[in-house]
Amino acid sequence: MDTMKVIKESVQKKPAKNMLRDVVDKVYAEAWEAKKKGEPVGWSSSKFPAEIAETLGLKVCYPENQAAAIAAKHGGQRMCEYAESLGYDNDICGYARISLAFAAGAECEEKTMPQPDFVLCCNNICNCMTKWYENIARMHDIPLIMIDVPYNNTPEVNDENIVYIRAQFDDVIKQLEKISVRKFDEKKFEEVCSNANCTAKAWLKACSYCQYEPSPLSGFDLFNHMAVVVTARCRKESAEAFEALADEYELSVKDGTSTWHYDENHRIMFEGIPCWPELMNLFTPLKEKGINTTAVVYAPAFGFIYNNMDEMIRAYCKAPNSVCLETGVEWRETICRDNKVNGVLVHYNRSCKPWSGYMPEMERRFRKDLGIAVVGFDGDQADSRNFSNAQYIARVEGLYEIMELKKNGGQ
Amino acid sequence: MNNIESLLAQFADIADNPKRQLDQFITAGKKVIGCYPYYVPEELVCAVGMVPMGLWGKQGSPTRAKEYFASFYCSLVQMNMEMALCGELDKLSGVIHTTLCDTLRPASQNFRVAIDKIPMIFMSHPQNRKPEFGIDYTVTLYSKVLQQLEEIAGRKASPDDLHEAIKIYNENRQAKREFVKIVGKHPELVSAVQRSTVLKSAYFMEKPKHTAMLKELNEQLEALPVVEWTGTRVVTSGIICDNPSVLKIFDDNRIAIVADDIAQESRSFRKDVSEEGNPIRSLAMQFADQDQDPILYDPTINSRQAHIVDLVEQSGAQGVIVIMMTFCDPEEMEYPSFVKVLKNAKIPSLKIGYDHQITDFGQAKTSLEAFTEILSLRK
Amino acid sequence: MNEIYTMGIDVGSTASKCIILKNGKEIIDKSLVDVGAGTSGPERAITAVLNSTNLEMKDMAYVMSTGYGRHTIEAAHSEMSELSCHARGAYFQFPKVRTIIDIGGQDAKVMLLDDDGILENFVMNDKCSAGTGRFLDVMARALEVKIEDLERLSAQSQKDITISSTCTVFAESEVISQLAMKTDRRDIIRGIHRSIASRVSALARRIGLVDDVVMTGGVAQNGGVLLALEEELGHKIYTSDLAQYNGALGAALFAYQKNIT
Repeated sequence: MDTMKVIKESVQKKPAKNMLRDVVDKVYAEAWEAKKKGEPVGWSSSKFPAEIAETLGLKVCYPENQAAAIAAKHGGQRMCEYAESLGYDNDICGYARISLAFAAGAECEEKTMPQPDFVLCCNNICNCMTKWYENIARMHDIPLIMIDVPYNNTPEVNDENIVYIRAQFDDVIKQLEKISVRKFDEKKFEEVCSNANCTAKAWLKACSYCQYEPSPLSGFDLFNHMAVVVTARCRKESAEAFEALADEYELSVKDGTSTWHYDENHRIMFEGIPCWPELMNLFTPLKEKGINTTAVVYAPAFGFIYNNMDEMIRAYCKAPNSVCLETGVEWRETICRDNKVNGVLVHYNRSCKPWSGYMPEMERRFRKDLGIAVVGFDGDQADSRNFSNAQYIARVEGLYEIMELKKNGGQ
Repeated sequence: MNNIESLLAQFADIADNPKRQLDQFITAGKKVIGCYPYYVPEELVCAVGMVPMGLWGKQGSPTRAKEYFASFYCSLVQMNMEMALCGELDKLSGVIHTTLCDTLRPASQNFRVAIDKIPMIFMSHPQNRKPEFGIDYTVTLYSKVLQQLEEIAGRKASPDDLHEAIKIYNENRQAKREFVKIVGKHPELVSAVQRSTVLKSAYFMEKPKHTAMLKELNEQLEALPVVEWTGTRVVTSGIICDNPSVLKIFDDNRIAIVADDIAQESRSFRKDVSEEGNPIRSLAMQFADQDQDPILYDPTINSRQAHIVDLVEQSGAQGVIVIMMTFCDPEEMEYPSFVKVLKNAKIPSLKIGYDHQITDFGQAKTSLEAFTEILSLRK
Repeated sequence: MNEIYTMGIDVGSTASKCIILKNGKEIIDKSLVDVGAGTSGPERAITAVLNSTNLEMKDMAYVMSTGYGRHTIEAAHSEMSELSCHARGAYFQFPKVRTIIDIGGQDAKVMLLDDDGILENFVMNDKCSAGTGRFLDVMARALEVKIEDLERLSAQSQKDITISSTCTVFAESEVISQLAMKTDRRDIIRGIHRSIASRVSALARRIGLVDDVVMTGGVAQNGGVLLALEEELGHKIYTSDLAQYNGALGAALFAYQKNIT
């Protein structure tokens, strides 16, 4: 008996979702280990260039991922209230409130991580990041490492932006060399970038299975799996786990099975970050009416691929909240077409001003360009007090009715 | 005394009539460029012979702007969009739109696609503004903006034009800073309402005229003996506080604003521009030097907190009144540290909610009265 | 012996309250009319208390007005903010008070006093009516119960129901959903009380609680809200039958002080 072959096969047979969960668990475990050993641990914005810290062997955690996990486990409101008792307004992003509460010492058994020794801030996803991380740096008296990514007014990123951001990259490398007490190794960097690209490709590959009719997956699954592409882009095991996921979907297509166990009467795009504490409430009316989510903006936004430093910088300039209106619309309309959706459910996320900022205009363009039903609802990525289940159900029913009418030719 | 009253009345008249000011500029054959908050270098507009006008919203509620914005966006930006959609900005030859906060960013896109009558000049300031690479970026940014302004104006700006504009603006900033100090010493002569209109009128005037009038006012005020102020003295902090109903409450309660940390006021004229060297670079250096503003990245992490304590001590204020703009993330996020530092320095503070939509300031009235009572009892 | 009578009148948004004080110590009588600023309420409240005490306006050495509509009282010699007046009134009744939680018709306030009973700091509810008397009015209407019955019904609750929304409109829709699911009205009411307590405690925590804590304002009469606040904050909360008159009492006390100086 070939032991290695048996082990390999049994490893391969591990469900992809378990592999993915293990990757994220490892990120947190390694951060704790590093902290115990007295090594510096950082907190990073989700779209700060992860390649840099990875190359320098620095362990990093992601407050946004932590906040999402806490919110999904229904600890979000408690943490938000703690932050509010410190004087943080309830208008502030729910992730930030949860994270600030945690940084200030609030107990949190839903998802803990080591307190930071440095913070990595990149405002490509929002300006709130800057204030959020300044507050943490202030609370803990630790260095804040900043990469400023100016907002875009055109689909193409300006050359001066590339120069400016490149200079910041170089500066950040110097700062992190000091913190890690290591030299930045170009070869290691190449390897790390290669891993990140593999991960992104594999992730996009997995997401692309939504194009099949019927879809071999419930789009909501992608909300769970994306934690890996946020927290562990640069690791080989991430690409492996996503490849395994893609393989599973491939198999499903062949077998005619799906993780969406209900009718697929309609296919929609879910616009915005999901309401983490309300996933069940979001899912229920959709499954009852056979509405599968086959396009999700939040998830593939993290699947960026690059071949060189210039392209890498351009990729980091393009977060959903940093691109011009036309690019934002194009992304979404492309996945709507590719993934054959006939409706869009728009989450007006109380916690995210940049994301909802040009949403009304985008809605109008979706209707005009794609001729599909578009309905919005009020919610929040982490604070349930801003979500009304009654309103959500009413909106989904409205969306369903319009999609039915369009499907049946207005009869 | 007569001259002071007359000057104050003139400033108030201008501040209350931006539309008339705009019409007058147009009739005189001038082109006008609207400038969004914050840190737009108006010198560039001035250097090509056009007139910059500040766009800080106005009192009222958005109705048409709701087609573009959900409810939870600051009323300053929404009301600018409202004015644009209602055609009130049609006579402008261009608008410079900034991106320093999470509302301004998507708002720039909304403006650009919704208001095709008015060319939008996009200004995305770098937050990492202090290092050399940041200054270089600002130089490129400002140069691009200047190019677009030159196209609109139909003429180029020479380095001399730019130097001249910088001089004009330095003089105006200097006069405003003087005014703020002087009013701090003579609150009995200039009410909070009047103080606001003097500073606000600058956004609707060509600066040389504003400077001339303001210098005259400053001289007249300085000449008078200092009278002991029996009311209370405060520093205000926030984005904007120009609603006369709110300011009247200050006056009715004899609350003197002896210094301010308001974006529409002192934050906009704290720093001057070097009159030497490459003018665009000098303007970029001015932006690099800007600090103590929640909307700007603070690489020192703590400089704003220290600044506000200094401001209170230097101006002889008894307390700080935070004018919290509803839905303003940067101000909200900086508030806890702000209050903590004031508490440690034993400086009483009060926060009142503010936005362009509020018509009934009953709650603010109660708060301000109670705050006055607290300060008076501490005297 | 000359008795000195002073009058305090508190013109709130939803009710007018009046108190006559003798020699700055003894409450002679009080009155309450269910309408507030901008109505006939203040005048009727003044008339009622004068009638019941057989006194006339000219007998008042000093009249102090407070509350939202304090500027409309012509008979008043001067006015003070209801914050200072609530502080004064509470201190008179509870000399060890350091924190006052006042929930009125349209706003909620938390006040911190120093050791001498002087108002030191305060915080008010921002933006909306959730956590105020108005919130209770809307919910009571949705539940088809009287405001006076809320406390009694809440005490009979057996089950924890959470009404989580911070927005009054969303909360109302939650209540309606609960009713549609046949949830016991009493459990919903207790949930509403806890919702108010949650909102108001957030306010209180921002300013920092110091014992003794006293509750004033019209909503203090609802023992269900008081109990929910005690549970939420983990502090004993005192109140009295004069809770709704607290502002008027403080005004009358200040009137006495002003008169003798």
